[in-house]
Amino acid sequence: MEDIRLLLVDDEEDFRTTLANRLKKRKIDATGAGSGSEAIELVRLRSFDVAIVDVKMPGIDGIETLRQIKQISPLMEVIMLTGHASVESGIEGMKLGAYDYLMKPCDIDELLLKVGDAYHRKLVQEERIHQAELKQEGR
Amino acid sequence: MFGLKEFFKKLRGVKPREAREEESPDAVRLAFTNRYLNFKTLLSTNNKVLEIITDMEQALVSSHSFGMSFIRANCTAISVNMYKIIQTLNEITVGRYRELFEVFEDIWVKIDQELKGKKIPARGDLVFPLEAVDKEMADQAGSKMANLGEIKNRIGLSVPEGFVITATAYDRLLEHNRLQDEINRRIQFLEPENIARLYETSADIHKLIINAPLPLELEEAIRQAYQDVIKKVGRGANVSMRSSAIGEDTKEASFAGQYRSILNVSPDYLILSYKEILASKYSVPAIAYRLNKGFRDEDIGMCVGCMAMIDAKAGGVMYSTDPANIRHECIMINAVWGLGKSVVDGSIAPDLFVLSKGDPKIILKKEVSTKGQKFVCHAEEGICRMEVVEKEKDDPAITDEQASLLAELALRLERYFGCPQDIEWAIEPDGSIRILQSRPLMVIGQDLAVPEEIAESKVDLPVILAGGVTACPGVATGPAFVVKTTVDMLQFPRGAVLVAMNPLPQWAAVLNSAAAVVTDRGGITGHLAAVAREFKVPALLGTSTATREIKSGDLITVDADGGKVYAGRAESLLQKASERVSLMKGSPVYVTLEKVLKYIAPLNLTDPDASNFRPQGCQTIHDITRFAHEMSLRELFAYKKEVSFPEHLAKRLVFDVPMQWWVIDLDGGFRKEIEGNTVSLEDITSIPMLALWKGITAVPWEGPPPVNTKGFLSIIYESTMDTSLVPGIGSRFAERNYFIISRNFCHLSSRFGFHFSTVEAFLSDSVAENYICFNFKGGAADHTRKKRRVNLIKALLEKFDFWVQVRGDLIFARLERQEQDFLKQRLKVIGYLTMHTRQLDMTLSNNGMVNWYVQEMLKQISSFAAIPQ
Repeated sequence: MEDIRLLLVDDEEDFRTTLANRLKKRKIDATGAGSGSEAIELVRLRSFDVAIVDVKMPGIDGIETLRQIKQISPLMEVIMLTGHASVESGIEGMKLGAYDYLMKPCDIDELLLKVGDAYHRKLVQEERIHQAELKQEGR
Repeated sequence: MFGLKEFFKKLRGVKPREAREEESPDAVRLAFTNRYLNFKTLLSTNNKVLEIITDMEQALVSSHSFGMSFIRANCTAISVNMYKIIQTLNEITVGRYRELFEVFEDIWVKIDQELKGKKIPARGDLVFPLEAVDKEMADQAGSKMANLGEIKNRIGLSVPEGFVITATAYDRLLEHNRLQDEINRRIQFLEPENIARLYETSADIHKLIINAPLPLELEEAIRQAYQDVIKKVGRGANVSMRSSAIGEDTKEASFAGQYRSILNVSPDYLILSYKEILASKYSVPAIAYRLNKGFRDEDIGMCVGCMAMIDAKAGGVMYSTDPANIRHECIMINAVWGLGKSVVDGSIAPDLFVLSKGDPKIILKKEVSTKGQKFVCHAEEGICRMEVVEKEKDDPAITDEQASLLAELALRLERYFGCPQDIEWAIEPDGSIRILQSRPLMVIGQDLAVPEEIAESKVDLPVILAGGVTACPGVATGPAFVVKTTVDMLQFPRGAVLVAMNPLPQWAAVLNSAAAVVTDRGGITGHLAAVAREFKVPALLGTSTATREIKSGDLITVDADGGKVYAGRAESLLQKASERVSLMKGSPVYVTLEKVLKYIAPLNLTDPDASNFRPQGCQTIHDITRFAHEMSLRELFAYKKEVSFPEHLAKRLVFDVPMQWWVIDLDGGFRKEIEGNTVSLEDITSIPMLALWKGITAVPWEGPPPVNTKGFLSIIYESTMDTSLVPGIGSRFAERNYFIISRNFCHLSSRFGFHFSTVEAFLSDSVAENYICFNFKGGAADHTRKKRRVNLIKALLEKFDFWVQVRGDLIFARLERQEQDFLKQRLKVIGYLTMHTRQLDMTLSNNGMVNWYVQEMLKQISSFAAIPQ
């Protein structure tokens, strides 16, 4: 799990740094982004495995950020995090391909479990595509 | 689990391109991993949904309070997980159940509507002069000011000049600053019972509101309305500003003292005071009160009443009836010197007048207390405490004549409004009486009072104190907890008796977790007393010596009826102490939960064979969960494809049996990197595989039991003679059995002759994710014998808590969500059964044999696993 490339997107700096520090204790290096646009920019430039995205952010909100991340990097898994639970936005996030949609405050261990599962899923999906490509080449 | 990446890399490196003909081994392995992940997701999300349903159902019956954020968060979690289930099911079935998405959408949209409620946006004026307000305007002016308008304009009693800042104004302010979402977000972080967090949140929201600028037109409207009041009063004046919340001061809920009132506000501080009062909607006691009583935060609009300040000579509160005893026909008046404020916050012991309700009003009781201090208006702004001049200290604050006049008014208001009233009043220096507020009085039914025979019963315990007034009747026991400061409150333990000097309204925040309340000061007309009655917490106030005589930790019994506190548990009194009831039943939040649960909890699809067992038959979230679970498991066992693995991936298990066992490690199932193509048992760390293996090897297989001729012939008749069943021939032993493992996962496909079985298990510390699935199919022999064997296995599996389903000669068993150790025991049994049932059908020549074998096998199993009773 140490080599997970994790992106943390939240406009609240407190939340971002606290979580990043706690992740560091678990030997996970996370990149922080303070807004949706910053996150999208980062995803364009670098590869990430999993992103944790806050739903409510000024400017480009979490749902839009999710939509754009998925466009740029479809295999990247995105976990939505919200302080204001709503069924509608939860479903919207899932429809846009979120891996999960969790409520704040979120237990760090539970969050990590989800990150691990999301990462695992991403590896499998990548491998499937890799296999499919090889099969194509083989023909 | 995350060795997977390295594994893939390695695979890619090792694999020569040519090996990827037809069925690539990586693809097979990947298919397994994917299936494993999907299945794991399905099971854990399925369990999560069921868990949340249970939590929500529990909330309805438990005595603990919950708020809208509890319902909203759970509904969201359920919906998200439901979506995931449908998504995963469609992934493994290649979209066979896509219509479930539509079925689900119909359901979640309904849930969402219930959650959003039908809040009608307040429309209308930002401000109303008090002359324009009456009872029908409670939705615009709040019930407190609506009642006051009614008293002024329709009853014609003397009420100070003033105006109301309406619910529309409140909405406008929230919208202008986009505050509601921000507030909801913070409320979601609250944990019930965590008072410290509650304080933090309350302070945060307070700050948000205080910092929010008013829309310009609102500020102008308030200033204009103030000028209009000045004109009417005919002199420069300060005002009192009081909360008048929508839904406040109704018969069901008093909200007594939950929101702020600010007295003697100068024009400079109108706006800030207005925001202070709005912010008091999120004071600690107010949040706790709404939570305990099940009010929806958004439903409560804060209106604020502003009235010309009366610099009262005397003031107080009166009740048009005795709230603790409705049969006691009397009017009760509490009076103090100066402003009546000290009566409601309990800080000064007031005079008590009790008057008869008949004509003329007779003073039945008059208790004049020593009132050393009083609250008066400060010349500039605000109020201050003053010493009462020596000669007035022991005088009654009102004359007998004034008491009769007040009683007259109380009765008039009670008759007009049709129910007992709680009235705040003031007497001007010229002696005229002003009504400042009148609201329904919460009256306690007789159910709370301790029956006489109990009350009279003798208690052989030391009496710690006697006296005081019964603010709420009842008996309760618990360890005492003396509260002096807010910090003490943070540590208030559930079930303790709250002991305090003053009955301050802020103590109400812990009232619902208190067994009883005892205070030194205060009377029954205070705010804390009102909330105690509402929460049905026995309360004995004004005992003078409680904080001196009682120490934190003392176990005491409070007899609020008898006005006594005993050391220890007074069992004889407690016998009939009434049970605390949930305050939430029937409240808006409670009803919302009931409504959403109708779309969530009922299970209509109980029979997988019934005709309604299809997507369109699903009416609730529970139905979809059930359907998806069944379908995913069916899919799992429809997976007939035989597993074949390339040699270099599979390691042969070194073991002294003539059968071949091959092991493929997905991830962390081996202790170390294994060179060569064999692996020994010591190098295997897979928890489920090791358990299974114990069962497989527990009892040596002594070859097939003797076959009676008919059985044997039936095999021949089936025409696929299985050499593995005949010792000495043994070619079929060459057949391979595959373990696919990780540290917590094990999948075994084995084929012994005609029998094909698979075992799949996930065993971890996370109970919710654990499962065992077992299926067993085939076997030669005729139909009757197959059926007998199926029954035998079913009987055995059920003995070990498995859920078993039989379709033809296919047995399908599963066991989920159990502790790891519990499942290990079961896996051993499965291992044993895999080895020892495969030839049975040959010998099961009659039904009696089935029972005999069950007993025999149980005997063998008992040598390595506990048999459940």
